[in-house]
Amino acid sequence: MPVEFKDYYKILNVPREASDEDIKKAFRKLARQYHPDVAKDKKAAEEKFKEINEAYEVLGDPENRKKYDELGSQWRDGTGFQPPPGWQQGRGQGAPFSEGSFEFRFGGTGFSDFFEQFFSRGGRFDDFSDLGDRQKYGDGQAGFARRGSDLESDILVTLEEASKGSVRVLTLQRTNRKTGQARTQTIKVKIPSGVIDGQIIRVPGMGNEGIGGGSTGDLYLRIRFAAHPDFRVRGADLYYNLDLAPWEAVLGTRIVISTLQDRVAVKIPPGANNGQQLRVRGRGLVNGQSGEKGDLFVVLNVVVPERVTEQERELWNSLSRLSDFNPRNS
Amino acid sequence: MKEPRNSDQESTQELQPVEHSTRAAYTIEAVADLAQVPRRLIVLYCKHGLVVPASKSPESGWYFDDRAIHALRRIENLRNACGMNLTGIKLMMHLMKEVERLREEVRFFHRQ
Repeated sequence: MPVEFKDYYKILNVPREASDEDIKKAFRKLARQYHPDVAKDKKAAEEKFKEINEAYEVLGDPENRKKYDELGSQWRDGTGFQPPPGWQQGRGQGAPFSEGSFEFRFGGTGFSDFFEQFFSRGGRFDDFSDLGDRQKYGDGQAGFARRGSDLESDILVTLEEASKGSVRVLTLQRTNRKTGQARTQTIKVKIPSGVIDGQIIRVPGMGNEGIGGGSTGDLYLRIRFAAHPDFRVRGADLYYNLDLAPWEAVLGTRIVISTLQDRVAVKIPPGANNGQQLRVRGRGLVNGQSGEKGDLFVVLNVVVPERVTEQERELWNSLSRLSDFNPRNS
Repeated sequence: MKEPRNSDQESTQELQPVEHSTRAAYTIEAVADLAQVPRRLIVLYCKHGLVVPASKSPESGWYFDDRAIHALRRIENLRNACGMNLTGIKLMMHLMKEVERLREEVRFFHRQ
């Protein structure tokens, strides 16, 4: 089944030759604008936010971006999408839901079919023996029973959803390759508060049907955190990049930042260095499996002004004459 | 008479939504039944560190969570569909875990 090509550059509103930094900036700007927690029209914003996230997931990773550029080299706006030769739609590459005589499509996971087909994190365990077994033993032959194979899919979850929990409605469409008959199931899945990235949620009995009276396989949903415009995640810890003016780093200051739960004032000590990390205890995510409470790390990033006035230049000059500090000599 | 072509036919069947507790704990017997893996094999996989019980106590025995069922299904898939032996499975499970961890690291640094 052909999938619709996604123009990720257009979604992020950047030219194809945009630098990695431009892409990051564009993502942050749009993600702040459409973040479901801040936008007025939540439903529309959520769709847009997911789309932006998907685009950033691909263009924000150099490997994925290269792959995407190759994939889309022949594609022009308004034309149908055919992957270039070598990008088979069969098993092994692409079409991750080919499962014997059925084809699967998920809805509501937060990822498009295009993404699922070419950029999904993988680890989906297709049962390669499925087709062979059916041919060898025939469907439902007496004395042979085998459990249906499992399905896996990623599900995009925002950090806010992960900390508060949510209920998601997914659709799973199974199409019989031979008859073309499609059946759509609606699944309501509870995302418990405290889920972590990579965690597996098992939905029993939503996989492939068994053979010869064997039980039905399961559906495994893998939690995938949406990129947040302000925070990066590592385990249960959050990382926040805080930009500082050179004098703020030297003299120290106090800055109020928004965490996922509240606002905290962070005291920047005098003589703070670029890359230095300040820990705000307990303001990270909660790992529901271990009960561990993560921290928020504020990563200092000293930014030098791009332009200076005549007077400022004079002051920096005075400073350079006065100071005996030499960063290459310490 | 020719069979009617039904390749474009689509029947949509709305089923009752399924809600599933993600914090469930299972005994080894329940896991054996859910993952369709014999109990003795589960014990063997645990011995080799391929599956880890969520809790373990001399009084109440072993309890497993959904992660264990997922791991068992994956192991069974490697064994049956890919024809791997225990050594191969151990290596594969280790590598899959490592790849997952490294991917996370790469994502973290790209977003810096």
